[in-house]
Amino acid sequence: MSKLVSTPEASTLSRRDFLKASLVGGGLAISGFSLLRYLNGPRLTAHTFIGKARDYQTNLATLILQGLRELDITETIIKGRQILLKPNLVEPHKSTAHINTHPLIVRGAIEAFFHLGARSVVVAEGPGHRHDTLLVLEDSGLADVLYEDRIPFQDLNTMTGIPMKNLGQYTDLETLMFPRLMKEVDWIVSLAKMKTHHWVGATLSMKNLFGVMPGMYYGWPKNVLHHEGISESILDINATLKPHLAIIDGIIGMEGDGPIMGDPVQSGVVVMGKNFPAVDATCCRIMGIDPYRIPYLKKADQWLGPIHSTFIEQRGEPWQAVQHPFALTPEIPAHQGIQLKSV
Amino acid sequence: MPPPTILDNIKNLQLQSGGFPSHQGESERPDATAWALIVLSTSQTDSTAYDKGSAYLASQQRSDGRISIDRNFPTASWPTALAIMAWHDSLRFQQARESSIEFLLGFSGRHFPKSENSIIGHDPSILGWPWIADTHSWVIPTGLAMIALQIAGLGQHTRVDQGAEMLIDRQLSHGGWNYGNTLAFGKTLHPLPECTGVALQALSTKIHRSLIDKSLDYLLQQLPLLRTPISLAWTILGLSAWGLKPHNTNTLVGDSLDLQKRYGTYSLPSLALLYCASHTPQGLHSLFHTSHSQQTMVGSLAAPRS
Repeated sequence: MSKLVSTPEASTLSRRDFLKASLVGGGLAISGFSLLRYLNGPRLTAHTFIGKARDYQTNLATLILQGLRELDITETIIKGRQILLKPNLVEPHKSTAHINTHPLIVRGAIEAFFHLGARSVVVAEGPGHRHDTLLVLEDSGLADVLYEDRIPFQDLNTMTGIPMKNLGQYTDLETLMFPRLMKEVDWIVSLAKMKTHHWVGATLSMKNLFGVMPGMYYGWPKNVLHHEGISESILDINATLKPHLAIIDGIIGMEGDGPIMGDPVQSGVVVMGKNFPAVDATCCRIMGIDPYRIPYLKKADQWLGPIHSTFIEQRGEPWQAVQHPFALTPEIPAHQGIQLKSV
Repeated sequence: MPPPTILDNIKNLQLQSGGFPSHQGESERPDATAWALIVLSTSQTDSTAYDKGSAYLASQQRSDGRISIDRNFPTASWPTALAIMAWHDSLRFQQARESSIEFLLGFSGRHFPKSENSIIGHDPSILGWPWIADTHSWVIPTGLAMIALQIAGLGQHTRVDQGAEMLIDRQLSHGGWNYGNTLAFGKTLHPLPECTGVALQALSTKIHRSLIDKSLDYLLQQLPLLRTPISLAWTILGLSAWGLKPHNTNTLVGDSLDLQKRYGTYSLPSLALLYCASHTPQGLHSLFHTSHSQQTMVGSLAAPRS
């Protein structure tokens, strides 16, 4: 299915580069960040924020506000903006809350953006498997939160689309049909869940954007994109849509046979960042997964963003301090050989 | 009697072009127009509105008979099945309907043999219908195509038989259907009420009840939990098609309509589904003038011999 090739993180520096780096690094005592710039010229860099949250009773609005501050997202930037929050509600079932972005993370993000002066916040999703989006909203528990907070919800699956030239060109699709709402808002926020995935290894902020593609053009499931290649489609969607912020609900994630049939895992983190590959690579490290083994991240590296830890400045908690390896399923090909070597 | 507001609300959405939007303030859409015409034709209340709507729908038809969700996105041809139902009783649009039927009979998407070490549970070689051209077949578009062809009097057609075989193959072992996958990596997936309702409706004239008893049980268990229009309506239609129409259907439909205070006005297709669910005596077929003598059970799916 995938025409992308992955290589492990350890092999991204050649032996010659490594020796050169060791000599220069030792002699000049410069940081790894500057060292690689010296070796390779200007590279894409990014910041990510990791915040600890023991459970969903944590004050998540305060935590998300802290993250926004750490990422230099201030009131000046948000004031008057229309914000779209896109949670992950692929196939909710009442007994399996760990499939979805938790409603209280959504509420925390809503409060944080209003605190910074957002003009409006809308929550929108186009569930991948379910035709009845309102039932998805009810089963996920999000309906009650949005009703109490008077926040509108939009079904992206049945929203008329606007064609946009495919800027990724990894699939054979010349244009991508995005819901008109994507053009009406100022900021698109991927409010994803930290989960393993049985086709692509991990589903995080980039894969979550599959859900913006309307089912009425791509099907239920979004089978057009499956046939074009899931990794390739992820890259095209992200390259074309150019989303603004990723917030990952890793308080309780999903390990094993994700994104639906896996088991809950308490990893106790919220990860945020403006650069999606950097955020997803950081999440992978927390999950004990080598981001260079996730084909779409490997291909996104230094095109849509950095995935090497050297080029990602961590704010808040260091990823090593919160690492909680997720169980992988050996029988699933996409899980084979993706574990970080140091785990 | 069901709440009269559904029909009025739908009629009020008609635009100058004759087409209907999904929501007020939006442009006309083929799927919404087809659902509006299904309601108008079964209610037989306003032939002018029906003719204008039918003319709009015909204007969206391509030369091969398909009707797509957007003229610039021809691969998304799933509204074709709805159009066949919408034009069922119309002499004026008989040619358009026949052209759509011809398209549907020749349309099947991607199918392929099941590999020996397949990680999926179903047999992908059995022909059904896809949502979008050049993709795999799934439960809802297959169900809708079968229902449309049955209403058109083609219940005995090979493609309908294949559709029934495909749906039975995709039925979950513990009952019910989801979008169309039964197993992945050894795990049985979860059923969904809207998909189960469509499948049961489509199979109601094709197979023996013993083959779908567990699925009826699943829907009966789900019914008290459902309030949202698409799942509730398809659950009522699926049960009704098997003679199990809930005695409190109008209350359930009324409660669902009340939810609009919370979620805002429903889309036209959702309202149309609720209308059909509340009006049907025995499934969607019974709203149309169909020759039931033409519906027969598929050989291997008929009643098992004792």
